[in-house]
Amino acid sequence: MTVGSPLNVFGILFSVITVSALLIWVERRLIGIWQDRLGPNRLGPLGLMQVAADMIKIFFKEDWTPPFADRPVFFIAPAIIMIATLTGFVVIPFAPGIGVVDFNFGLLYFLALSSLSVYSVVLAGYVSNNKYALLGSLRAAAQTISYEVFMGLSVMGVVMLAGSFNLREIVEAQRDVWFCLPQIAGLVTFTIAAIAEMHRAPFDLPEGEQELVAGFHMEYSGMKFGMFFVGEYLSVTLNAAMMVTLFFGGWLGPAFLPPLLWFMLKTSLVIIFFILVRSALPRPRYDQLMSFGWKVMLPVTLLNLLVTGAAVLSTQH
Amino acid sequence: METAVRQQKGAGVAPVIEALHGRFGAEGFVPQATHDGIPTVWLPKERLLEVLRYLKHEIGQPYGMLYDLAGIDERVRVHREGMPDSDFTVVYHLLSFGRNDDIRLKVALPESHPTLPSITGLWANANWYEREAFDMFGIRFEGHPNLRRILLPPTWNGHPLRKDHPARATEMEPFSLPEERQEREQEALKFVPEEWGMQRHSAESDFMFLNLGPNHPSVHGVFRVALQLDGEEIVDAVPDIGYHHRAAEKMGERQSWHTYIPYTDRVDYLGGSLNNLPYLMAIEKMAGIEVPERAQVIRVMISEFYRIASHLLFYGTFAQDIGQMSPIFYMFIDREKLFEIIEAITGARMHSSYFRIGGVAMDLPEGWAKRIREFIAYFPPRLDDYDTMVMENGLIRRRTRGIGAYTTNEAIEWGATGPGLRATGFGWDYRKARPYSGYQNFEFEIPIAQHGDCYDRCLVRVEEMRQSIRIIEQCVNNMPEGPHKAYHPLTTPPPKDRTMHDIETLIQHFLSVSWGPVIPPGEACITVEATKGLNGYYLTSDGNTMSYRTRIRTPSFPHLQMIPIMSRGLMIADLIAILASIDFVMADVDR
Amino acid sequence: MAQTTALWPLIIYFAAVLVVVGVMLGLPNLLGQRSRGKATVEPFESGIVPVGDTKIRFSVQFYLIAIFFVIFDLEAVYLFAWAVAFRESGWAGFIEIVVFIFVLIAALAYLWLIGALDWRTRRQRRVESKINN
Repeated sequence: MTVGSPLNVFGILFSVITVSALLIWVERRLIGIWQDRLGPNRLGPLGLMQVAADMIKIFFKEDWTPPFADRPVFFIAPAIIMIATLTGFVVIPFAPGIGVVDFNFGLLYFLALSSLSVYSVVLAGYVSNNKYALLGSLRAAAQTISYEVFMGLSVMGVVMLAGSFNLREIVEAQRDVWFCLPQIAGLVTFTIAAIAEMHRAPFDLPEGEQELVAGFHMEYSGMKFGMFFVGEYLSVTLNAAMMVTLFFGGWLGPAFLPPLLWFMLKTSLVIIFFILVRSALPRPRYDQLMSFGWKVMLPVTLLNLLVTGAAVLSTQH
Repeated sequence: METAVRQQKGAGVAPVIEALHGRFGAEGFVPQATHDGIPTVWLPKERLLEVLRYLKHEIGQPYGMLYDLAGIDERVRVHREGMPDSDFTVVYHLLSFGRNDDIRLKVALPESHPTLPSITGLWANANWYEREAFDMFGIRFEGHPNLRRILLPPTWNGHPLRKDHPARATEMEPFSLPEERQEREQEALKFVPEEWGMQRHSAESDFMFLNLGPNHPSVHGVFRVALQLDGEEIVDAVPDIGYHHRAAEKMGERQSWHTYIPYTDRVDYLGGSLNNLPYLMAIEKMAGIEVPERAQVIRVMISEFYRIASHLLFYGTFAQDIGQMSPIFYMFIDREKLFEIIEAITGARMHSSYFRIGGVAMDLPEGWAKRIREFIAYFPPRLDDYDTMVMENGLIRRRTRGIGAYTTNEAIEWGATGPGLRATGFGWDYRKARPYSGYQNFEFEIPIAQHGDCYDRCLVRVEEMRQSIRIIEQCVNNMPEGPHKAYHPLTTPPPKDRTMHDIETLIQHFLSVSWGPVIPPGEACITVEATKGLNGYYLTSDGNTMSYRTRIRTPSFPHLQMIPIMSRGLMIADLIAILASIDFVMADVDR
Repeated sequence: MAQTTALWPLIIYFAAVLVVVGVMLGLPNLLGQRSRGKATVEPFESGIVPVGDTKIRFSVQFYLIAIFFVIFDLEAVYLFAWAVAFRESGWAGFIEIVVFIFVLIAALAYLWLIGALDWRTRRQRRVESKINN
């Protein structure tokens, strides 16, 4: 199989959408288990058909655009997050020979798209003409651009070690040791930035139910709301896959499992970690989140670069 | 019928009344004896302000807290022996922590001109109480900063606690809500910043006015806070209540003494039978019923169970409102175990209405102690887990410490009681200060904290659960034998053992069951340390099968009034933490 | 790497994504029910008629964040370039980048000191300083 074959292209698109939809069920069941309750267990085996039922239902929901909103932007906003996260998957090296394209600038492409998805949230809240939504989008704008700054920097340590922005080369460079060890600071800062970029709990300030009811997607319903919802799970999957690629050796693993399975296994574990974080941690306040990003995360990533550079250069000579 | 007003045993003239006479002369002051022994005196309305100022600021060991302020429509009251003529009476109930005593001042008002000077300049919390008295009786308070309806919508006609206002839907036109009326009602709810003296713009930016509630996940029911926002910062806040008003006080005038018990369960709907207690003790006071020891201990035990149940729900929602989604589920499991015990004893879970006039509904079931002992062993380790999970969580600490703080003096000024008062470092608990139902026989401590902030309010409640477990354990170990209900004709249901022997007792029993007992005329206010603070029932009997006036003083009402001073200058997220830390239920506020 | 040939799959993939998104946006329009109530056309504000709208002037704070972002993100781009080529630039490049990062950190420290990175309200600052003492 070669990267970019039609089977690859359509197979990957189909899989990521399926997996992300399934995640809704996984998250509900997992949090259910951790909270000593059952979660959705009625439809089909283990409640798996819940996903199908929800999808069918949401297609039959009213397609509603409020008259007080800015209609075209209101329409486009949910599309942006879907497009940005779905196309983010093209650079993910699932396994040798499995992937959509093999880009030299794969990592930069990912960072660019991840910035793009911010627009979705900010625009959605801003054009909804709803006060809660507006507050949500203000929070989203401030939070995501603040964490954007060091998200890119946090992975530069990996780039320095691998000497490439090409994600396949980054995976290959981890044959000896996964980058999660030498780049532990990078891993921690990237994880935090990723959660903030996905605005998932505990950094779900733009939608924080207890404070802003639904925040930026307050006026959204039906499928357009569903797109934000699925978009969130898509970006969970995307960011987990990216973390695996950058820090956990991608598809690499002992030979008793095929590379693709290794990749999926690792990604699943990272996703479960994201879900665990959500069920465990309370939400910081807006100002706390912001100053944490600027005063702790940003200096840490900068220092990490210097330390990595010095270490690599001194071992080289 | 007995005399309308019975003198309290051994009560001469109370020292505070003597002090008042010494200062202002005896003229115009008319003392009134009540069953609860609280010194009660009528005074002319011209004297009101100076007397209150004297009691608050000048007298030794002053009366620092305006505990309650309420009206009574006296126009159809029969038994008013020794009281000055009055159509509407306003009652000021003050509490002195230094004296550990109360005083009740009454002012008589004529129907033609029910006006009084406002005391909002003396006590900050008088603001809402006066609005309520205006809303319910149409009494006007001159000098009040914003005298408007508080519990009823601004569109309401009449003042519902007046005796001539209908109490039932059948006495009124059938209800309908045509479109234009709905529009009018909705428009009336619109927040107008100018009415509250607010600016729409500052020099640099425009303020956003946001309705937080009544339909909002964090307002714990139907409650609105109208916010004036500069970005995320709260410039000012106006709490708006009344969405949960169910006319509990009015219903008290239409239900027999016995059939009103279930309503009390639902006033603080998380407190269950704990709410029965002040109501029933006030009746028992007026009827002169001595509750047997076993019933007292059972009442204490059930009350403490409900205290734990309420605090657990508080604890979980507190964490949840700060964004921690899991603890509430663990706490609901504990609460479930607790409700199973309550159900086994009382037959119901949340609103068991288990207490009766003179005792409790039925004796403890067989094997009751075993399940409780299991719970006593099970629960404290769980609390330790929650400490690690919630109280020691760094984010929770950062979100709640220093937030929404008030001092002991502010708390007293605003009428804050219960854990909200004790979190400021003032260890005053009604169960210790003025023990009732045998609390003096139990060993327990009063948990306090120092800063009076959101975190401390939670801390105090967590510790109170541990103390409640201690009390329950003592109940189990020392449950006295004996009857679970007093042998007294006015208890409900009345004693039945002699009904089949002579026709007189049969008739008596028949009447007492079908009409309910006739409670002798008089007044009594009994307060208990409820789950959320001091909960008092001030009952007036006119020698009838129904209460003449049921005044319910609830803790949450004054607590909500403090929201503006707690939240100004903070952010929306802080307001949510503050709301969570107050621990209110809207049923308790609106009644 | 042969980039030009590898771009075709990306274009096909992108087109497929557009189809998926198009179906998601378009299909409910055909399948979904329609309902019109009086309150449907009002923005949700906790079930109460709103006062004022969202077209207001915000405080300058938000603009500052955007400016900081532009400044620091732009600097980050230079670091990206260095990160991939730092082996070639060697110690000389490293020293240059140390100076660069030092300037960045100095700017950050300056912002920190003048309080531009403190988004707390005045009252929050007051209560928190009380707690830490």
